[in-house]
Amino acid sequence: MLRSFPPLPRPRVRLALHKYSTSSTCNQLSPQHAIYVSNSVNPYFNLSLEDWLFRHKNHQEPLLLLYRNTPCVVIGRNQNPWKEVNMSALKARNIPFIRRRSGGGTVYHDLGNTNYSIHLPRASFDRHETAELVRRAISTLGIDVRVNDRNDICVGSEKIRVPGPMCVPAANECFRLYVSGSAYKIVHQRAYHHGTMLISTRLDTLGALLRADKDTMVTKGVDSVRSPVCNLRQFSSTINHETFVDAVIKEFRKEYDIRETVQYVDNGEGVDDIEYIRNGMTELLSWDWAFGQTPEFTYTLKKTLPWGTVTAEIRSKHGVILSAAFAGEGDVSQETLEQLGRRLEGQKYGFVDADIVRDITEQDNRYRDIWDFLSSSMDTYSYRP
Amino acid sequence: MLGLQGRLQLLRGRPSRASLFHTSSTAWASRKVLQKFKLADIGEGITECEVIKWNVKPPGVVQAFDQLCEVQSDKASVEITSPFDGVVKELLVQEGEVAKVGEGLCLIEVDEDSLDENAKKFTEPASPPLHQEQEAVQRKAFETRSEQPPSAPTPAQEPHSSRKRRPHPLDPNHPPDASTILESFSKNVLAKPAVRHLARELGVDLNKLAPGSGRDGRIEKEDLERYLAGGRKEESTTSTASAHQPQSSADVVVELGRTRYGMWKAMEKSLQIPHFGYSTTLDITNLHHILPLLNTCIPPHYLPDPPPSPYQAINPSAVHPAPSPPPVPASRQFSKLTYLPLFLKTLSKAMHEWPLFRASITPRAAGDTAKPTLTVRPYADISVALSTPTGLYTPTIQRVDTHSVFSLAAELKHLSHLGRQTPCGLTPAEMPRRGGTITVSNVGAIGAGDFASPVLVPGGGVAIVALGRAKWVWDVDRGDGKGERRLKIGVSWSADHRVVEGAELAAFVECWRAYVEMPERLIGEAV
Repeated sequence: MLRSFPPLPRPRVRLALHKYSTSSTCNQLSPQHAIYVSNSVNPYFNLSLEDWLFRHKNHQEPLLLLYRNTPCVVIGRNQNPWKEVNMSALKARNIPFIRRRSGGGTVYHDLGNTNYSIHLPRASFDRHETAELVRRAISTLGIDVRVNDRNDICVGSEKIRVPGPMCVPAANECFRLYVSGSAYKIVHQRAYHHGTMLISTRLDTLGALLRADKDTMVTKGVDSVRSPVCNLRQFSSTINHETFVDAVIKEFRKEYDIRETVQYVDNGEGVDDIEYIRNGMTELLSWDWAFGQTPEFTYTLKKTLPWGTVTAEIRSKHGVILSAAFAGEGDVSQETLEQLGRRLEGQKYGFVDADIVRDITEQDNRYRDIWDFLSSSMDTYSYRP
Repeated sequence: MLGLQGRLQLLRGRPSRASLFHTSSTAWASRKVLQKFKLADIGEGITECEVIKWNVKPPGVVQAFDQLCEVQSDKASVEITSPFDGVVKELLVQEGEVAKVGEGLCLIEVDEDSLDENAKKFTEPASPPLHQEQEAVQRKAFETRSEQPPSAPTPAQEPHSSRKRRPHPLDPNHPPDASTILESFSKNVLAKPAVRHLARELGVDLNKLAPGSGRDGRIEKEDLERYLAGGRKEESTTSTASAHQPQSSADVVVELGRTRYGMWKAMEKSLQIPHFGYSTTLDITNLHHILPLLNTCIPPHYLPDPPPSPYQAINPSAVHPAPSPPPVPASRQFSKLTYLPLFLKTLSKAMHEWPLFRASITPRAAGDTAKPTLTVRPYADISVALSTPTGLYTPTIQRVDTHSVFSLAAELKHLSHLGRQTPCGLTPAEMPRRGGTITVSNVGAIGAGDFASPVLVPGGGVAIVALGRAKWVWDVDRGDGKGERRLKIGVSWSADHRVVEGAELAAFVECWRAYVEMPERLIGEAV
């Protein structure tokens, strides 16, 4: 890089300008550094750390955070978890799902997946530029990846084309497999682009967890765009979490001219007592956030039972059942069905206590069958760490 | 008598209206107006967003920069903040609904005098300003505001204590004042985040540098450095001798620019082609004599300032409109013809006779083991090497044989005009994937070279010719042995020996020479 003048002094960490209310400041982690690598693999911690850094860093300066999580599914801010995630597969593997604060779709994290998060002032934020930064980092590791027009990073065999002499490069050719998904958050004066990077993730688990097969659930929120994925490890035997992290840090340093050392964040004193992060972790675990932020959806069910068929249409908003309309064909009382429906109103979808409908289900096998079918369709999984 | 409300106004830095404070509506001077707060352009080509959550429900008091709602678009979740203090009276888009950019999000009731010009750009009056009913509403609003506990400063750094009216950052016409110039640049100036960061560090206003040398006028690091080096160099000349020159004596590592790197890659690929060369000298004395004649009859629509029509008293269009060619844009107009259009035209004539030089190697997949084929075109497409401030390009002129010499001159003028712009104005329209079958490089325009050995690139056709500089020489072969002064130009060919034989190239060049050295035969061929 051509430099013909000495660099001006960069403002260092301003200890006087705390944005969080704590008493002991000496060994507490500061949000004013530029490059953070989290050594924690706790997804709740990492997402809260990301948010804390996002809200507290000087909003004119760029920041990079890299982290990876133990297996979990992360859904977008405005998504429907029941539609996006296979709850029974989650339950079987004891893997949590977490709603993050940025938009976009659903992804699967495990230790073979590294997450990057680039925070910038809102005015100079450009999705394509940040995606290009990551692309350049990967290319230094010897893998040819491309950024498509949705700013996703993809890899794979390219369509054949014969380049003309010094001609303008054509738009992205057909790269077929994705290695990264991106999402963004934009607030008053700051924005971030964060994304996943599949290095050596268990793709079979990813497939199982992200296939919910709820075609009859129509939701108002954001649907994920499903794409075929592959691991970067397929293309290079030297790529792993550490080499990827180093490559991204190097590229970030180059792009924004950062000389500071990397801050490694470990769980423990000085970090775990940051109130904002603690509150954030609690919020992520709460029902109100995880399920209560679900936009409105309608779920249509139909089941043929020995004695007839029953159809149900459940409407829910913010995780609460607004209405449940049952209709039965065959030997079943419409009135009781309506009673059942009314009983469900106001209940938390997926968390309906069987006791609430016990008197109805105990009336007759048929209603118990209906209830069993209903509760298994409304399958949900609430992770308790 | 200064009431509570008047004191509050003083705190907010507004002139006191204490003397006008009355319970009767007619005396109330500060009017409330209902403003429609529109969804501003979030940027990045987003045209609509879904409202995920409202943080305030009507009637809810908001202060400037309080979070109003959260919207989602594509993969981005965006927090929208309130542009001013006021009361949210009505939500125009409910949670779960989609709002289009430019559409109203909500109605906020504000003090009329607090609306400045900037605010009016992203809000508009929702309805004719209410009058008589205002008073009760106003008092209620003031009371609720006074009951509000002073809110803690938000994580943003603005000084809230003075409650100064600041233009909302979402306002695209945010006026730059001293601090904002250094802190947040207007979106109209394009620059990579790294460049903005650097500029901010160095206290450079990017607006002064716009447009830059990058794509779409982006300001690049080199523009910043050039801007600063310019200032620095001036300082160093006036300072004492002990001051160092900005240019260090150590090695400097420079990255290849995009076009130069493109040239690098293309040239590496050119190693696949077995080149052979062939050079000769063309006698362009006859062309030289024709040129001034042609210059006098350049069709008027190609001339930047055409002479007055020769028809003063009489009009060819009297009976029927005479054909008038379409107007030609300024970039295509020229006032003097050069040799290059004549070379191209004569070359196209030779290409017409020689299908081999109208052929290109059919593109095929790497690893395809079938026999290679040639694709012969009915027309002569010639690429021209263009050296521009941003790099070397080879745009193509299609169907040269259908062009007249004048329209070729116009085309060349247009290409060099596009090429000379920074960033380069050449597009895939001028540089199509299917380039010319012959490339012409007029390197003689740069230096007094005689011969060169040009390099072919894959996809660049079967042959390339470099034209040297024309020079007057004494030709001893002419003038019955006495010799004659002739204008000669060196031409150097390189061809792809996989498909072109040496003898074929030599014969083709002789065919071309026959046109170049006797251009009058073009009259017979009536084109």
